[in-house]
Amino acid sequence: MDRVRRPAAGGTVRGILGTGATMNNWLLAATAVGAISLYLMLPHGRRRMSQFGALLGVLALGGGFVELGLWLSHGPLAAAVAPAGIFFYVFAAIALASAVGVVCHPRPIYCALYFVLVTLSVAALLILLLAEFMAVVLIVIYAGAILVTYVFVIMLASPGGGIPAADYDRVSADPLLAVLVSFVFLGMILQRLFGGPMDGFMLARAPLASGHAAAAGSFAGLAALGANLYAHYALPLELAGILLTISLVGAVMISRKHEPVVRILGAADVPAE
Amino acid sequence: MNSLAQPILLEYLALGAALFAIGLVGFLARRNLILIFLSTELMFQGIIINLIAFSCYYQNTAGQSFVIFVLSIAAAEAALALGLVVLLFRRRRTLNVDAWSDLRG
Repeated sequence: MDRVRRPAAGGTVRGILGTGATMNNWLLAATAVGAISLYLMLPHGRRRMSQFGALLGVLALGGGFVELGLWLSHGPLAAAVAPAGIFFYVFAAIALASAVGVVCHPRPIYCALYFVLVTLSVAALLILLLAEFMAVVLIVIYAGAILVTYVFVIMLASPGGGIPAADYDRVSADPLLAVLVSFVFLGMILQRLFGGPMDGFMLARAPLASGHAAAAGSFAGLAALGANLYAHYALPLELAGILLTISLVGAVMISRKHEPVVRILGAADVPAE
Repeated sequence: MNSLAQPILLEYLALGAALFAIGLVGFLARRNLILIFLSTELMFQGIIINLIAFSCYYQNTAGQSFVIFVLSIAAAEAALALGLVVLLFRRRRTLNVDAWSDLRG
């Protein structure tokens, strides 16, 4: 498999990174470096710092991935699992980097475009997880519908081209507090995932896909999804439809201009402005 | 086939958590109304990865069914929230959240 492996230092690497506890510390260190880099990259109005932050972020991401791959191939789980292939790491890196772009870019329209990139790479990851239908649905709904709404609203409610980004976009609110809260949260989750007892729950069942693998290439997975949806979640599905309709009506009611009803009804008679 | 068919649950859970955390940073730190809601969509992406990873892990489709509900909630939220954003923008001609801090009471 394609991942970083250094045969010369194999023994030492195994010694340093092999056990679960140290692995945990290394991953937490990568998380902390990522937190610092995100703090530096959040809009401050200072360009040099965000470049330095981006460098740190690349280091943290690469270090975290190398660490994860090494741990999975040499750690206590090495006998039971194989690390995900190169595709996982590539798409995860794209997803995380463009997520940082969404959060940090001072221009909202670029944030929306970065979010499209996140959606596309998440869809690729869903394909790796053998959920092809959900991947397509994600692209159609997120990149196709929701993001178009966002872009329209950004277009409607932005100062316009040529003008430098607004003040509130160039300076973020509470970068230190936000980064602290989020990354302590992330550190807690990673601690639980990688530092907890390695019971059967956290072990990957060897090739996860085997149940679906026979059905790959046909629509059997989609048929199973439909059967599950309508056998167990028929009422929630209907409620979701009703919710969508209500929110559509509500959105129209909220955002329309409050003009006299007569004028709206008689719009055909009034010449267009 | 070899590199495609061996997803490991832990890695996907870690990635989902990381996406969620980055979205949380955006939600807390940005001051633009639109970007705050865009950050929640980022958090939804992390949750979707988690649900699909568990769906693949347990080899049933319940996780995928949940993702359909998550998507419909996300769509409803985007429509309503952006309608509200347009309304608020018309009132104050700005997207700055701090413009509405007098709502604190």
